[in-house]
Amino acid sequence: MKKSQIGFLFILPWLLGLIIFTVFPIIAALYISMTDWSIIGQETFIGFRNFGNIFSDPAFYKALLVTMRYAVLAIPLTIIMALLVALSVNNQYKGIGIFRTIFYMPSIVSGVAVAIVFKWILDPSYGALNSLLRIFGITGPNWLYDSAWVLPSYLIMAVWGASGGLYIYLAALKDIPKELYEAATIDGAGWRQKIRYVTLPMLTPILFYNLVIGLIGAFRKFTDAYVLGGAGEEGVFYMVYLYRQAFSFYKMGYATALAWILFVIILGLTLIINYTKKYWVYSERK
Amino acid sequence: MKKRLPGIIFCMVLIFILALLTGCTGAGKEKSTFTFATWAAGEELKEFDAIIEKVNREAGGQYQVEVLSIPSDYYVKLATYIAANKTPDFFWLTQELISKYAQLGAIADLTEMFEDSKGLTPDQYYPGVLRSATYNGRFYGLPWIANPLVVYYNKDLFAAAGVAYPPATGGWTWDELIETAKALTRTEQDDYGNNYQQYGCIVDGWPNIETFIWAGGGDIIAENGVDILLDSEETIQGLTILHKILNAGITPPYREVGSLGSNNVWFEKQRVAMFMGGIQDNFEVKISKLPEKEQFRIGYAPMPVGLDGKAHSFNWTASTVMSRKLAKKQTAYEVMEKITLEFFKWKIASPISGEVERIVEIAPAKEPALETIQICLNNARSANYVPEWNEINHNLWLKLYNAMLNEGDFDYKSQVKAIAEEARKLIANRK
Repeated sequence: MKKSQIGFLFILPWLLGLIIFTVFPIIAALYISMTDWSIIGQETFIGFRNFGNIFSDPAFYKALLVTMRYAVLAIPLTIIMALLVALSVNNQYKGIGIFRTIFYMPSIVSGVAVAIVFKWILDPSYGALNSLLRIFGITGPNWLYDSAWVLPSYLIMAVWGASGGLYIYLAALKDIPKELYEAATIDGAGWRQKIRYVTLPMLTPILFYNLVIGLIGAFRKFTDAYVLGGAGEEGVFYMVYLYRQAFSFYKMGYATALAWILFVIILGLTLIINYTKKYWVYSERK
Repeated sequence: MKKRLPGIIFCMVLIFILALLTGCTGAGKEKSTFTFATWAAGEELKEFDAIIEKVNREAGGQYQVEVLSIPSDYYVKLATYIAANKTPDFFWLTQELISKYAQLGAIADLTEMFEDSKGLTPDQYYPGVLRSATYNGRFYGLPWIANPLVVYYNKDLFAAAGVAYPPATGGWTWDELIETAKALTRTEQDDYGNNYQQYGCIVDGWPNIETFIWAGGGDIIAENGVDILLDSEETIQGLTILHKILNAGITPPYREVGSLGSNNVWFEKQRVAMFMGGIQDNFEVKISKLPEKEQFRIGYAPMPVGLDGKAHSFNWTASTVMSRKLAKKQTAYEVMEKITLEFFKWKIASPISGEVERIVEIAPAKEPALETIQICLNNARSANYVPEWNEINHNLWLKLYNAMLNEGDFDYKSQVKAIAEEARKLIANRK
């Protein structure tokens, strides 16, 4: 037996795993999206009717709007916050490790636990946030109970958990050659110029990565939205809408079609971001 | 070694594939062994296990029932079992889903076996309870619990406000409930001299919207399971009762309810004087465990009489259902019936008439409520559940009830008409 054939046999278990657990489910999902299937009954092939129904459903557009609005605001907010935190804890002060740990903690807490804690923080009457505002003589809003304040409530939660990308930024900051800062100093650059002309350009690959990951995360927002909801339909994010179709209304075919639409939206936006990469992401390769 | 290696790898791959195939085909099952899926967990599961053990013991080896505990994500996992062709033989199903599962062919039509049974027959059930286990006039489940609404009230708060108790045998109207609640809504002072608001009752999405719609003499769906009655004059009158309650200042604002945890806590902490809850709610035990200073006397009244002259008590029921693959299997039905009869001795309240006294054996503290509970059981009512129920109900909550709770001037009359139209479209698309 040839060496290459033996090698192939070695990767065969992985290949089988890929086919059975990845390729097959993708093909199955494509088929399911074209069926009228309720999980517990027999499926009926209906072609693209699910997609047609989705595009004529006002609830779909509402869920998409809620999610897109959140994504447009939450992604830049979280990127800026995480970057600011990373810049502030980048230096080697005594006890800085404690701060880094504290800032990183939100990303290791369960989503359900975070949602429950924020339910209390955002409680209009006795919540921590409105109690704090009351000290300054401000009557806080009704947060999740007021349709106009549902989005700001979720943005506060997003900002709170923004430092999840902290260690990626820190690693990238450590990776910036010191010579660049030294050269900038010789040229008379202050800290603002160093950040503007050295740090940020050198961080653009990581910013690009976090933008794409943030986009995927924002469109797949589920746990806290499912637990907390919000006044009216303002808390019905795309994934919550999808989950309800599948498991509350038993429309698995319809929900799978929704998943494919979400995939196409994310893919499209990622491709657009990728296209803009050449204009703003630093690369050593020319 | 070099020559043997491909053979070894081939054998490993073969074993892997065989293992997968074995998993897919499922292990063969003795015909006399039945699986019973339940959402019970913790203490409830232990009690459930004890019942199954007793049934198995009495079966003398003729059959064996095995418990399949699904304590979380019950319906998601149940659906997965069914999709994988591993439907449990018996399982619990909440009333809202019976019609859906029946329509999809997942559960067995029990009508003939149920009507011919010598152990448990349809006429033994409270009609309002049994209705929840039907679809297209056929029986698909054996309800094992009845939990209609009753009005719990705090006798001490009534006495302090000088308000007469509501009648234990019923007859009071929704207007009277509102007036009583107004008299009980007062500013009180706690032990530290801080003012707090005491409310007459609490409505925060519970009781459910059916309670108010029925109070106006309306309904969501007609008995034929097709006609939508949401935009009828009677339904709108019922919603007007709800609107009146929400805007009379007699219930805590919706945004404040969560501050104490949940609605029942408001009653337990004496912040509201009346609570519309299921007869199963164990306020009596909870209150008896509080420090003596915080304890209070509980009174009971049936739900108020609606504009149609009836005191409808929304009833929550769960049923035991049987996998369709066991349809017309008499032995399986008998096993299921035997277990269901045991459940009657376990839960409050038994869904069959003439057993109200049994409540005292299960929960002695409920004794003062027996007379009222009996009235509530007689008045127990289930909605006309249809396969599209979850979607219609979801719309009612999200677009109507939730909005009414959040916005005092919400135009519920226009909104319910829009929801009615959506519901008609859903029904029209029924297969």
